Amino acid sequence: MHRFEPSSTQDETLFRPIERTTRKFYLTVAVLVAIILFAVIMYLRQMMLGLTVTGMMQPVTWGFYIVNFVFFIGISHAGTLISAILRITQAEWRRPITRMAEVITAIVLAIGGLHPIIDLGRPDRVANVFLYGRLQSPLLWDVTSISAYFAASTVYLFLPLIPDVALLRERGKKHRWLYEFLSWGWQGTPQQWKVLHRAINIMMIVVVPIAVSVHTVISYIFAMTLQSGWHSTIFGPYFVVGAIFSGIAALFIAMIAFRSAFRLQAYLKLVHFQQLAKLMLAMAVLWGYFTFCEYLTGFYGGEPAEMKTLLYKVSGRYAPLFWTMIVCNFAIPVALLSYKKFRTIPSILISSFAVLIGMWLERLIIVVPSLENPRMPFPTHIYVPTLTEISIFAGGLALFALGFIVFAKFFPIVSVWEIQEGRALGKAETEERIESYLPEEQPSHA
Amino acid sequence: MPEPDRGPWYQRGIRALQILSIVLMWAFLGGVVTWMVNVVGVSRAQGDALTASVGISMVAVPVYTLVASVLTYVYFGLRRGRRPEK
Repeated sequence: MHRFEPSSTQDETLFRPIERTTRKFYLTVAVLVAIILFAVIMYLRQMMLGLTVTGMMQPVTWGFYIVNFVFFIGISHAGTLISAILRITQAEWRRPITRMAEVITAIVLAIGGLHPIIDLGRPDRVANVFLYGRLQSPLLWDVTSISAYFAASTVYLFLPLIPDVALLRERGKKHRWLYEFLSWGWQGTPQQWKVLHRAINIMMIVVVPIAVSVHTVISYIFAMTLQSGWHSTIFGPYFVVGAIFSGIAALFIAMIAFRSAFRLQAYLKLVHFQQLAKLMLAMAVLWGYFTFCEYLTGFYGGEPAEMKTLLYKVSGRYAPLFWTMIVCNFAIPVALLSYKKFRTIPSILISSFAVLIGMWLERLIIVVPSLENPRMPFPTHIYVPTLTEISIFAGGLALFALGFIVFAKFFPIVSVWEIQEGRALGKAETEERIESYLPEEQPSHA
Repeated sequence: MPEPDRGPWYQRGIRALQILSIVLMWAFLGGVVTWMVNVVGVSRAQGDALTASVGISMVAVPVYTLVASVLTYVYFGLRRGRRPEK
């Protein structure tokens, strides 16, 4: 039986951004909307003129759009997967983090999912996927797994939101009809808590394999082809590790931004950053290990087409980007996060930006060089992105920021009831759990 | 946690919207199942790899069904768990 009732009069700091709107909010929204509108105009231009306005040309038929698709879907792993793992392991420090992580997933998945449609040039042909799709194609596996992940993540975001929505309904200051609609008749009775906890427990187990499957399947659109640089058995786990890695970096940036903008220093303490930084450090080392394995295998085999692509990356045209990727994804996070005294918020922010840049470069280095070095004797093409592609990428980033800001305008960005539950029950439950791990004290036979 | 009393029509409207959201989730599931059946049919008609289509469908459909079932369970569970009205 649940032994506490969250209060709508405590933790005012978490409700304040919803109930008070500052001039800075409108200014930020205006700037983001302007960037998005510019991207929409550029996209409409692409629809009218075709994909000739992009830098793509045979044999480089995938460019920024697919790079960004893989990048955004990767970031989405921050959310639900990390939140679910922290809940499953009953990590007490998760409480102020999980909501932000879950929001990232829902928003970024929607943005990432749009990119293959943008890449189509003729978006009306999406209908062919539903009418004549071939489920033996990894591209269709993507459609299936991403939409399943989106559905599961949205539900997983919504369920823990219900008690907080009820608190907002109770406060009754804004959007009462919305909060009444979304609170689903929540009154906080023991029976309702039981139902909610059971549903959250089911979802936190279910979303883990779905999340892992999503990025594994995304890697298959490359790994299932015989293209040099793509046909690799470790691409599945390599992509999953990279996705979690970039996801944590995005989560850090969101945490630091909201901590500063909403004055959440009392909720998002240094210890939360330090705990999560350990996970990012582990991912940096794992990413380095996978990268080493991937490139060593290709190099040692010495297959001509494979070597041509590999050298193109490490010492050819892509060398500056390749070595920047290594510095950003491995050298910077490992150097800054290995020692506790360096694990400060500014250094975590620097590491996070480095990782996001490095992971984006990694996606670019996987997608484009392989296409620029086809096995068949096609005349090659050097891919250079155009303003259209760059502005649509900027539009995607702006949409991500806007989605987050709009969410934070309607709902608490830190889970109020989970914070209050932690205060009321967490300490005792943790002590009880620790006691259960230890052997009972033995009488001494002195 | 008390709920504000806003009149019976308002409450009925809110409740109708809530039920509509559950219905939409099941309609989405129906759409997914229809799509899967269609692509399996296309695969069969074209003499394509039928087992792949059937295999993917057997994984995907239960996932969507589970998500829709959890939402439905929560909605009706929360309604049943309410305090009796005075």
